[in-house]
Amino acid sequence: MPNLKDIQRRIGTIKKTQQITRAMRMVAAAKLRRAQETSGRARPYADRMRATLTEVAQGVSEDSHPLFEVRENVRKVEAIVISSDRGLCGGFNSGVAKFAEAFIARREAEGCEVTITTAGRRSQEFFKRRRSGQLRDQYAQQGWVSYAQAAEIGKAASARFVAGEVDEVILVFNEFVSAMTQTPKDVRLLPFSTDTETDQESLPYEIEPSPERLLAVLVPKAVEVEIYQALLENQTGEHAARMAAMESATRNTEELVETLTLQFNRARQAAITRELVEIVSGAEAL
Amino acid sequence: MPFELTIVTPEGAAYQGTVDRVVLPGTEGEFGVLPSHERFLSPLKIGALEIETAEGRLYAVITDGFAEVNGDEVTVLVDSCQLEHEIDFARADVELSEAEQALDRVAGDEPDRYRHFEAALASARARVEVSRKKSG
Repeated sequence: MPNLKDIQRRIGTIKKTQQITRAMRMVAAAKLRRAQETSGRARPYADRMRATLTEVAQGVSEDSHPLFEVRENVRKVEAIVISSDRGLCGGFNSGVAKFAEAFIARREAEGCEVTITTAGRRSQEFFKRRRSGQLRDQYAQQGWVSYAQAAEIGKAASARFVAGEVDEVILVFNEFVSAMTQTPKDVRLLPFSTDTETDQESLPYEIEPSPERLLAVLVPKAVEVEIYQALLENQTGEHAARMAAMESATRNTEELVETLTLQFNRARQAAITRELVEIVSGAEAL
Repeated sequence: MPFELTIVTPEGAAYQGTVDRVVLPGTEGEFGVLPSHERFLSPLKIGALEIETAEGRLYAVITDGFAEVNGDEVTVLVDSCQLEHEIDFARADVELSEAEQALDRVAGDEPDRYRHFEAALASARARVEVSRKKSG
């Protein structure tokens, strides 16, 4: 028979935990809303960028920008793995890390040399334990995702690609499907490709000074935008995942408190009965 | 006949409005866009942007990007855009001299850092330019 005091103490600690998980759920919900707003604000820029790039790229040859160059013999691959900095968000980070690990193993089996750049402390820790020799750049998000960081990652990756240090750059991140679902996926970042199929027949643009010069500005930016979008998806997904995780944690504590309260009441009742029996039998003995 | 101008950054739309004329810092030099301009695309460099509306003149400092002119719509896509009320004019001159000094200190063998400070300098210059135009 568990001690009454012990049960009471346990209920106390669980209730405290519950307060924490409930507060974290609320914080995550507020952050999720903010993250979704940020993503929403970034979308017009990204859409516009892609549309213009598609249009400009149509009028020029394939090799008009070094970042378009598709190499026949892909030997060196870089994976940019995006995760969150903090945990307590269910399987969000381990999901993307395992997905990335499987991806890397697959490319290695094909005979490629894979290097890893991590954005987010969780994926960094994951790969530090397993593949520390392959780690290249490591970024942490430090609060909210910024375009400046996406630009930094993009510039570094592009420079390596142009220099021939890598033949392909792949982004691995959690796609934000809905508040309940985030799925890891991989997207080829470099060589960069634009959607070639377009149905809209528009008048050609007058491009100053030349399409090539404009591409020189557009393509690196488009690469940065892809990274920024991936970082934003990760950010939104992180808060959604944490909200879900904290919600189920709160539910679990509720269940626990219920079971323990039941146990406590039973134990208390048993103690009272025992005392009564003692008194009654004591009175009878007189 | 006025036209629509939108300045879009990754952080959201920085400006949206009906304007009469806009002067943009193109990589090949400044150029003005008036209503019914031809369909046109041009890269932009860091610099000052001038907007003329029915209510008056508005300045902004932008980083590099590009401009798209399409009939009655002009879209400016840039990394960041500072409208004049967001600029601290009192600090503009100080920032300019700081940026100049920072650039001087960077050795030639650090192209990344050099480019970074070069951009900071160009942006500081644009802010000073705007502050001059505002006061003069």
